[in-house]
Amino acid sequence: MFSTEVADIREGIVRADPRLSRFDPLPRILCLDDFDKGHSGWSQLLGNYEGSLKTILPGYRNMTNPMLSTLSHWDSGSHGAMDGTYALKVATKSRKDAVSVAIKRLTFRRACQIRLEFYATFKPEAVDLALSDRDLKSVGFLLDLQPGDREGAGAQRVMPHLRYLNAKNGQLEQKWQFKRQSPPVKEIGSRNETVSHFHLADEGWEDLPDGAQRLCYNEIATKVNWHYFRFDFDLASMSALWFQCNDRVFDMSGFDSIRLPAMKNLWCMLNVCLFAETASDKRAFLYVDSVCLSGNL
Amino acid sequence: MLRESVTYVIAREETWQGPSATEPVEAGWATEAVFFLRGMDAAAGELPRVRAQISPDGMRWIDEGAAAAMPRNKDDLQFLRVRHFGNWLRLKADLPEGAHCSLLVSVHLK
Repeated sequence: MFSTEVADIREGIVRADPRLSRFDPLPRILCLDDFDKGHSGWSQLLGNYEGSLKTILPGYRNMTNPMLSTLSHWDSGSHGAMDGTYALKVATKSRKDAVSVAIKRLTFRRACQIRLEFYATFKPEAVDLALSDRDLKSVGFLLDLQPGDREGAGAQRVMPHLRYLNAKNGQLEQKWQFKRQSPPVKEIGSRNETVSHFHLADEGWEDLPDGAQRLCYNEIATKVNWHYFRFDFDLASMSALWFQCNDRVFDMSGFDSIRLPAMKNLWCMLNVCLFAETASDKRAFLYVDSVCLSGNL
Repeated sequence: MLRESVTYVIAREETWQGPSATEPVEAGWATEAVFFLRGMDAAAGELPRVRAQISPDGMRWIDEGAAAAMPRNKDDLQFLRVRHFGNWLRLKADLPEGAHCSLLVSVHLK
């Protein structure tokens, strides 16, 4: 029995396309970033500054450029991406607690439900012939959002954060955390034009209810497996609707975002960030095969 | 299809002293690289040449052969070019005691 319903036809098209079939996109696909086709607009997060780069807040000084990687390993050669050759690599510096962030900067045209989906994996740098599963602190993602300029009084900049805390202080943690505690906003420079806040500091993370999850780290430092991530967020109510990692869907009723007074030059902002943190003096790597950002636009 | 082209900033106002290097650059997709070194402040002491290095794994490094002077003054520019580098690249310099140099380093790949 053939259906002529638009939704059925659309679903059939999505499922028949190998690039899309692995995702569950909402009706409008904003971005389908396959890093076999290049960096796709993902770049290095840079802290704000004025007059001198020395005014960048310390937490931002360790940031590095995301790079196209073949997941090349000293013992087994190129692992490659989930399909094709290249994944986007977010690499920290080899300095304990360093964070690195890849960012894609967009705006939105309607405050609606959006869906972020991606396939990714993570690993510490394989400098030791050891499992090294406690050397990577976390991988995670965040959105940086602000409503349109007609929002009126009380408008907020909203930043939902989630991280998979893999290990800390030499102990496996293996749980999801979120952050709603606003970091201090600091004036940068002397012109009263620029502010900055480091929202990825290690302080202020809270455990997601029932957020413990063991992932597929694999058995040595150079074997990786790709994982699925999905996060739904409503830009109208600025609330999280769904969070999923592989087979686990998490209760988001206790989740909230960092909320700040709206800023003067960020209207309709829709930024997506992916990050990695190291727990040791080894580089930590987040590898991203592909990203799909969709919405009810 | 247009070929990929990208700029990475791999040292952002870093002060190099003693044994110093950029972060590793993974660029197996690229066939050519140009590094620019910009002086961010007046350097001090005897400045060695900065060397391009290549690596089989991003962890063990060997000189590639290309080298350039380090920038002596604020806003001085130096560059070096590398081809046929495999998958990994970085810059390395070993500054003697008393020498230092503040750098912005970018690499341009395609």
